[in-house]
Amino acid sequence: MSSREIYTDRRTAGLLLLPTILVSLVFLYYPAARAARRALYSSQLGLDDEFVGFENFAELLTSGGYRSRLLLTVGFAAVVVAGVMAVALLLTFLVHEVGTGKSIYLVAAIWPYALPPAVAALVFIFLVHPTLGVLSGPLATLGVDLDWFADGRQAFVVVTVAAIWKQIGYNVIFMIASMNNIPETLTETARLDGVGRLRRLLWVYVPIMTPTLFFLVILNTIYAFFGTFAFIDIMTGGGPSGATNILIFDLYQEAFDFFNWGLASAKSVVLFAVVGVLMYVQFRLTDKYSHYGA
Amino acid sequence: MLGLIQYPARLLRATRRQTAALALPDRRDLEAIGLHLLLVGSVLLIVFPILVAAIVSTKQTGIVTSLADLAPGGHVVENYRTVLVDYQFGRFMLNSFLMATVIVIGKLALSIFAATAIVYYDLPYKDLLFLFILFTLLLPVPVRFIPLFQLVADMGWTNSMLAITVPYLASATTVFILRQHFLSIPSSIVETAKLDGVGPLKFMAFVLLPMSKGILVGVSVIMFVFAWNQYLWPLVIINAEADQVAQVGLALLEGDVVGGEVSWSLVMAGSMLTLLPPLLLLILFRKPLLQAFVIQQK
Repeated sequence: MSSREIYTDRRTAGLLLLPTILVSLVFLYYPAARAARRALYSSQLGLDDEFVGFENFAELLTSGGYRSRLLLTVGFAAVVVAGVMAVALLLTFLVHEVGTGKSIYLVAAIWPYALPPAVAALVFIFLVHPTLGVLSGPLATLGVDLDWFADGRQAFVVVTVAAIWKQIGYNVIFMIASMNNIPETLTETARLDGVGRLRRLLWVYVPIMTPTLFFLVILNTIYAFFGTFAFIDIMTGGGPSGATNILIFDLYQEAFDFFNWGLASAKSVVLFAVVGVLMYVQFRLTDKYSHYGA
Repeated sequence: MLGLIQYPARLLRATRRQTAALALPDRRDLEAIGLHLLLVGSVLLIVFPILVAAIVSTKQTGIVTSLADLAPGGHVVENYRTVLVDYQFGRFMLNSFLMATVIVIGKLALSIFAATAIVYYDLPYKDLLFLFILFTLLLPVPVRFIPLFQLVADMGWTNSMLAITVPYLASATTVFILRQHFLSIPSSIVETAKLDGVGPLKFMAFVLLPMSKGILVGVSVIMFVFAWNQYLWPLVIINAEADQVAQVGLALLEGDVVGGEVSWSLVMAGSMLTLLPPLLLLILFRKPLLQAFVIQQK
């Protein structure tokens, strides 16, 4: 018994835990279980529920459309994660290195954390609107003809940039904490050895920051898979012709546009598996690298 | 006070810099200037879209086809009034405020109770209980909004404040952060409370909370930003326009633009309004916010 466990009355403890457990059971565990069960039924609008076993999952596995959307989502996540982490790492390093005005620069770097995705999406549409956008003219003189309402590849790029922009602040928050933890002596040694700034970042700081960077890879992947729904819904609606139809938007459409609840539930279960695997990887990596200080 | 302490140090640094300048052009100073330029450039790049939005929100039509059109217009009051009143944005913002406030207060209370029980009670299967709460991290809204929609609709909560608050009240993250923080409070203080015979409620109110002010502010900001920025769940469970939140309200406003009813300047005004509350909180409470995040990662 640790010295902190000063109370023993189990009824009070139960009362203290009850609200959290109740809400978790009713609104988190129960819906999850219900989705798992429902995924085994075919339930289209107007038809009676019929037990179909793993037919929904088999349908997803063999559907070329779903597989290509899965690939698209993985690609989208890879670009978002790599992009946001590269930008945030450089920005964090600049803030870390600067002498005066550090706290002002830090706020200017982390503010997108507060940026609502819906706002980010709308502002971006306006910025690069093919006919009205502020940047469309300048980009055209550079030889980039913006046509992302019709051009799938351009739409993918625009959505990706907007999603990266919104996530910079969150990454800087964690990176600056980790970078500030690096012992000053190490920085001094590197300086005396004549190691340049960029090499110091890449070969001294980044290895020490590994645990934080892994943690961020997982968080950013979850963000790319799920947190970007508003961007897709507002900016492209999954189009043009499926070019930005990532899994979370596909799931939404399956349920609320096609009312195919059985298949939608199966898709929920697939996404749950994605989160599960990511969390498991994070857990294992945190374990493995926890001896690296921080 | 702080200013007085820092003054001599600043003076010292200035003197050192002057002597250095007398000797030879200092490479470090040049580097510092370069750093500032790089930083200002990157920060401007990140802020640029919002600056454009702010400027456009003051113009009449919001048609900005070149950088030269980026001069502020004179329609600030008119635009924001139109959005807030004629397009119900005042209503949406109020709904968002209510939702976020209820979620922050409710989550905070529930999480303080749960974390107290987990840290300060001698309970069987405590680790299992904690795991039960932590496991909900695997069930974010996007993986369960389909069955949650059916459940909440069956309960008759569609279009109600209950629907967009109650399902959010259990928080693995907040319980986790508070537990970590409670574990960092010296056990000598806890033992003193025990010797004095302080009951659990008094212990929470007069020992735990005063010792957790910073962290409570930090997690509250995290929870507010999270709640305020929710989009998917209100989108599916709220279908009466008057009950909608600001995030989805924005999307509705954009629909009106596409329909040719509304100008982009109004959409940008709505965007600025929606951005303001979480941005202000972040700027005001950045220190406790950063502190709470550091704990979350562990």
